[in-house]
Amino acid sequence: MGATASSEPVVRVNDLRVTFPTADGDVQAVKGLSFEVPAGGALGIVGESGSGKSVTSLALMGLHRGSRARITGLVEVAGTDIRHASGKELRRMRGNDIAMVFQDPMQSLHPQYTIGNQLVEALRVHRPGTSRSEARRRAVGALDRVGIPQPEKRVNSYPHEFSGGMRQRVVIAMGLMCGPKVLLADEPTTALDVTVQAQVLDLLDELRRDLGMALILVSHDLAVVAGSVDEVVVMRHGEAVERGDVRTVLSAPEHPYTQALLAAVPRVEVSRAQRRAQDRADRAAKAGSTGSGTEGRASDVAASAVGSRGEGQSEPLLSVRDVAQRFKVRGGAWGRSTDFWAVKGVSFDLYRGETLGVVGESGSGKSTLSRTVMRLLEPTRGRVVFDGRDITHMKERELRPLRRDVQMVFQSPYSSLNPRLTVGDAIGTALRVQGERDTRKIRVRVQELLERVGLEPGHYNRFPHAFSGGQRQRIAIARALILKPKLIICDEPVSALDVSTQDQVLRLLSELQDDFGLTYIFVAHDLAVVRQVSDRVLVMRKGEVVESGDSDSVYENPQSEYTRQLLAAAPVLDPDRAREHRAERLRMRAGSA
Amino acid sequence: MLSYILRRLGAGLLLLAVVTMVTFAIFYVVPRWAGRSVEQLATMYVGRAPTAEAIAATVERLGLDRPVVVQFGEFVRGIFLGAEYRFGRETIECSAPCLGYSFQTYQEVFPEIVARLPVTVSLAVGAGILWLVGGIAVGVVSAVWKGSLFDRAAMAIALTGVSLPVFFTGLLILAFPVHSWGWFDTPRYVPFTEDPWGWAEGMFLPWITLAFLHAAMYARQTRAGMLEVLGEDYIRTARAKGLNERSVVLKHALRPTLTPIVTIFGLDLGLVLGGAVLTEQVFSLNGIGRYAVSAITQSDLPVILGVTLFGAVFIVVCNLLVDLLYPLVDPRVRIR
Repeated sequence: MGATASSEPVVRVNDLRVTFPTADGDVQAVKGLSFEVPAGGALGIVGESGSGKSVTSLALMGLHRGSRARITGLVEVAGTDIRHASGKELRRMRGNDIAMVFQDPMQSLHPQYTIGNQLVEALRVHRPGTSRSEARRRAVGALDRVGIPQPEKRVNSYPHEFSGGMRQRVVIAMGLMCGPKVLLADEPTTALDVTVQAQVLDLLDELRRDLGMALILVSHDLAVVAGSVDEVVVMRHGEAVERGDVRTVLSAPEHPYTQALLAAVPRVEVSRAQRRAQDRADRAAKAGSTGSGTEGRASDVAASAVGSRGEGQSEPLLSVRDVAQRFKVRGGAWGRSTDFWAVKGVSFDLYRGETLGVVGESGSGKSTLSRTVMRLLEPTRGRVVFDGRDITHMKERELRPLRRDVQMVFQSPYSSLNPRLTVGDAIGTALRVQGERDTRKIRVRVQELLERVGLEPGHYNRFPHAFSGGQRQRIAIARALILKPKLIICDEPVSALDVSTQDQVLRLLSELQDDFGLTYIFVAHDLAVVRQVSDRVLVMRKGEVVESGDSDSVYENPQSEYTRQLLAAAPVLDPDRAREHRAERLRMRAGSA
Repeated sequence: MLSYILRRLGAGLLLLAVVTMVTFAIFYVVPRWAGRSVEQLATMYVGRAPTAEAIAATVERLGLDRPVVVQFGEFVRGIFLGAEYRFGRETIECSAPCLGYSFQTYQEVFPEIVARLPVTVSLAVGAGILWLVGGIAVGVVSAVWKGSLFDRAAMAIALTGVSLPVFFTGLLILAFPVHSWGWFDTPRYVPFTEDPWGWAEGMFLPWITLAFLHAAMYARQTRAGMLEVLGEDYIRTARAKGLNERSVVLKHALRPTLTPIVTIFGLDLGLVLGGAVLTEQVFSLNGIGRYAVSAITQSDLPVILGVTLFGAVFIVVCNLLVDLLYPLVDPRVRIR
C-alpha cells in the first residue's frame, strides 16, 4: 500500500550545486542535480566514488551547515527549504521528517552509551514531553521492529556488543523512532557481508512498505539498489547522467556511462569460461586495432615463465592437507588463554595455471588460510606441500629462497604501499633483496612491468599518493610479478575498488594469467567476482570448507545449504529477479525459523 | 574483578620492590664503586669533628661496614617489622613501617613524611582539580570555536604555560600580586581542620602556579582530542538526529575526549602527590617535596630513600585507581 505515490513529492531537489572552496580553486562536487521522491516512493542514487552522491545526501540533511561548502539550488524535504531554514527548523526536521542511516555501522553509534540511551535520546529531542519509561518502551518496540532478538534485554547493551549487521539494524531503529517521512540510507550495506547485506536491504524494503516511508538508497553498486527502488539516478562527476524507472535504466540504459557501468558489474550467472572467452575476444579486438607492439614483448616474457596451463598434470603445484590454524586468545581469569581455531582442517590441490577461488564471509578463515599457505603463519596441524617440497614446518631461513615463488596482492591499495617509497623502489626492492645488484637492470625490468600492468614507464619515480586506487592495485600486482612467482595469492584484491576499476583489474589479472601461466588463489567475499575468475571454488564458513568443487557446478548446483543461502543473498541486477530472490530469502528464513 | 585487583596489587608491590632496590643501590652501592671507602661515607654524617673515633662510631652506628645485602635486608625488615637503633648506650625503637633514621636530624623518616603529607596532599588535590577543570574547559571551548580569537589566545597562553618553569611563574606571582601590589598575603599552610577559609586562602597562589603548568598541557590535549572526536561518524549521527550543538559537544563529544585524559591525570596526580618539589620550594611550603630537596642537599640517604618509596606508592595507587575507574568511563573496557 505504502508504495502508492501521492502527487506531492516529499523530497524535491532542483538544480542542486555544492561547491567546496580549496586552495587550488573551487571544486564542484555536485553540478546541477535534480530529482523528486514521492511520499512512500523509493529512489536509488548510484555512482562511483567522487560522483557526489554522499555530498548530496549530506545536503538533504542540511549537514553542510558550518562547513565551507557553498550550496545553491532548491533542496526541500517535507516542505522545509533546507537552504533557508533556521538552525532550529533544521534540527526539528532532522530525525523527525528525514532520518539517515550511514555507511559504517561500526562507527556511527556512540561507543560509550547504551543503544537504549541513544534511541531514547532520538525520540526525546523531538518529543520533549515523552516520559522516560514511554520513550524506552518505544525504543524496545523499534528494536523489535528491526528484528533485534530479545529487545527488552538488548536495549541496555552497548554498540560493541552487537555484530555489524545488528548495529546497522540499531541505526535503522534509531531512524524510525520519530516516524520520519523519508529514510535516507547512504551505502548502508557496503561494510557488511553478503547475507547480512541482503537482510538489511530486505528490512529497509519491508519497513518502507509497512510504514509508508519514502526511501533514498545511495550506493556505488547498481545491483544493491536494483531490487529495492522504483526510480534510479546515475551520477558521475557531480552530474546525473541518467535518471528514470529502475527497470528501464537497468534493461535499456541510454547513457554510455550507465552502459559501461552495467557491463562492469560482475554477474553471478556468468561463468568463468564465458568471461574468459569475452576477455580474450575483447583483447584480440583491441590488439587488432592498435597493433600488437606490447603483445610481442609480453609473450617473450611469458616464454621464461612457468609452463602453460594444463589439466592433465599429475603433480599439483600446491597441495594442502587437513591444515588447521589455532590462535591463542588471551582474556581468561589470571591471564589464561583460550584456543580459537580460525581454520579447521582444510584440504585442496592446486594445479599449475589454475585459479582457486576461496569465498566466505568475514570470520570464515579465508584470510588466515591464505596466510598459512604462504607460510606467514605456521600451521598448527596438517601439511602444506609446495612445488614438491613439504614447507609445513620449514624454518624461515630455508623458506627464504621459496618466498620468491609465492607472492601476495592485498586488499587495500592504500595501506599496502609504503607512502615514502617511489613506485620504482616499491617494485624493485624485491629484486634487490633477491640479490640483483645492477640498478640499471632493475630499472629496465621494473619499467617493463609497469608497462605490462597498464601504467607508464615514466611513473617509476612517482610516489603512491599520485595514483588512484585502481592504479595502486596495478602497482601492487607489478610488485607481486617482478620475481616471476609460480603462485600469486590475491586477498580481496578488488573489494576496495569501484565497479569499473574492479573490472579493469580483473581483466588484467586474467591477461597476466594467460601470458605468464600464473597460478592464483583468489580470496574474496563477492560471489560473482569469484565465479568469473575461478576454475575451482572453496566455500568457507567458520574455518571449515562447506563446499568445494568445479566453479560452475558449485554455482549452478550448490550442494550445501550455506552455499544456497549465499547465492540467494547475492545482489542481482535484474529488478524482477532481485524481487524473486527476496521472496526466496523470506521463504528460507520462514523455513528455518 | 577481585582477581584483577589482586594481580594489579601484586604487580604494584613488585614495582615498589624494584624501586626500593634501585634507589638503595644508587645511594649505597654506586658510591662504593666510585671508590669511596666506608670511612669517607661516614665522614659526611659524623658532625663537626671528624675524629677517627667519631668516624668509627658513625660507621658502627649506621651499620655501613656490613655487606650491602645485609643493609638492604635490614631496611626491608624494618619496613615490615620495625627496627631498633643503638646510639651509644641508648636504644631507640623504630616501629613498623620503619623507613629508617635520618642521618642528619636523628628523626624517624616515616613520621616525618606523614607529618608533611597534609601540605603536599592539599597542594596536589587543590591544584589537580583546578588544572583538570580549567584545562578541559579551555580545551573544549578552543576546539568548538577553532580558529577564533579565544582559541588562538588560549593556545598561545597554553604554549607559554608549558614553556615556563614553576620557579619562574611562582616567583613572578610572589613578586607582583604579593609583594608589589599587596593583593595577597604571603602563601602559607594553615591546616584545613583549623581554618578552612585560611587554608584555601593560603594555598591559593601555590595552586594557581602548579595548576597553570598542567592546565596548559590539558587544554592542548583536550583541544586536540575534541577536534578528532568531532570528526567521528557518531557525531554526525548525533547531529542527524536533530540534537543541538550543546548536546552534541557536551554529551557526545566530551566523554570520548576525556577517556585518555583520565589516564594522564592519574599519573600526573600521583607524581605531584609524591612531592611538588618546585612549587613547595618556591612558596616555602613544608611538604614532602621540600623535605626531599633538603635531604638531597645534605646527602641524607634514608630520607631520600623514604621519599622516593612514598612517591612510587602514590603513582602505583593512582594508576590502579584510574584503571579501576576506566570501565565507568569507557564501557568497552572490561576488567577481568
